Amino acid sequence: MKQGMVIYAIVFICGAVVMSFEILGSRVLAPNFGSSVFVWGSLISVFLAGLSAGYYVGGRLADINPSSKKLGLMIMVPGVFFLAFPLYSAPISDWIFMKDMGVRLSPLIASIALFLLPALFLGIVSPYTAKLMICSLHTSGKTIGTLYALSTFGSIIGTLLTSFYLISVAGVNALIMAQGVLLFIIAVPLFFMGLYCRVD
Amino acid sequence: MMRTFLVALLFVFAWAAGSLALEASEKLLFEKNSLYQYIAVVEDTAKNERYVRNQKRDYAQGGIYVNAPEKLLFEFTQLGFVSLAFLDREPRDVLFVGLGAGAMPKYFNKHYPEANTDIAEIDPDMVPVARKYFYFRENEKMRVTVEDGRIFVKRSRKKYDLVILDAYQNDYIPFHLTTVEFLKEVRSRLKEDGVVVSNITSPFRNKFFDSMVMTYKKAFPHLYIFRGKKSGNFIFVATANGAVKEKQEIEKRAMKIQSARKLDIDLAEIASRVEMSDDYEWSRAKILTDDFAPVNLYKYQKSGAQK
Repeated sequence: MKQGMVIYAIVFICGAVVMSFEILGSRVLAPNFGSSVFVWGSLISVFLAGLSAGYYVGGRLADINPSSKKLGLMIMVPGVFFLAFPLYSAPISDWIFMKDMGVRLSPLIASIALFLLPALFLGIVSPYTAKLMICSLHTSGKTIGTLYALSTFGSIIGTLLTSFYLISVAGVNALIMAQGVLLFIIAVPLFFMGLYCRVD
Repeated sequence: MMRTFLVALLFVFAWAAGSLALEASEKLLFEKNSLYQYIAVVEDTAKNERYVRNQKRDYAQGGIYVNAPEKLLFEFTQLGFVSLAFLDREPRDVLFVGLGAGAMPKYFNKHYPEANTDIAEIDPDMVPVARKYFYFRENEKMRVTVEDGRIFVKRSRKKYDLVILDAYQNDYIPFHLTTVEFLKEVRSRLKEDGVVVSNITSPFRNKFFDSMVMTYKKAFPHLYIFRGKKSGNFIFVATANGAVKEKQEIEKRAMKIQSARKLDIDLAEIASRVEMSDDYEWSRAKILTDDFAPVNLYKYQKSGAQK
């Protein structure tokens, strides 16, 4: 059951990272798009779109011989996005600002460009781990409930920690990159766990 | 069981509503949850004053004397006009960021009817409130644009003599209107020798105050500070160019403006309060940037920076 605890911890951290990234996203958008209701609406809906696409894709991927190694790789993808974030975020935002697609469309397009893919990959984690635990560790349906709860609980902690504290500790770009590092760190044990199952 | 629960719930609501009640002399004229804030227009029938508030019993965001709506009720609105004494010419193009009850632009437009006055206000519901309850009227020379202040400044192609930043509320400061990048964008919209004035509500020295001082000093060559006597307001006046303004010169000009424009505020007295920002030097205070600006947390943190 040790391996199960590691998976739980990973799901918790991924849940925290998603919401921390969303809070920081509002800061990324404000210089070019303000903090109008359109900015908040764009930001939240794009994160939800990313997560829902991620849940769907994650479920499909979980049916193709899931393994802890593959999960590690999929967690490293948003890690790469986060580490490179300062390189592309300002140029993309500036470009969309210059194009001026209006007060609604501008922040929506910017949110899609900056946040959709990382949110999608983080959304994959929950369904993928659920299948992996059930088929390789032979756990029961209880596992799924626990994963949902931990993921959402992680999101709560990520939201509070970021908005109440982290924002006064370091700059937005530094915080996003630190989360990239964190994702790489939690991906490491997945390569040594050797959890997998064959689905016929 | 259900009924007991409902009765208990009713009591809780009644208690909550009671705790929100206004002073005996206060009357609620209007309330609305807009996209951005709770707006309450409250009239004090004993003092004959009318306020707009973001919480029923919070500090007012703006207000008027009911019997003399053309006067400036709040000290910070009076203080702000000291910025006129820093201009080397008559203001022709002026920008207000933040409308509130519209007291400051209304007053300015009355005494400078020839100047072009732009106002950027994020909340579409504030405009009819200012119009209906605070006698604010747009006219050919004075126009409100409903837009985030930062976006208005970034998109503007106009140059201004004077920019008045008054978009910080007591309980919420939009961080993107505090950063050195924003102030530089404002500076790029100023004519040569233009002036920026900002209303800062803060206790004297906490992390927010220190950082605001250092950020303004980073973005502008000269900063002058005026302290409210009746309120915890500070007025920052920053100039884009030119030499340091001497105290005597500012006072003399303030007196001239006061009589030439028939201002019913004691501008000369306000000018005499000028403090040079050389006295405000906290090198360890953090400069606010788009990347790092925890303004709403800083408001509750004690200053650690020393001179």
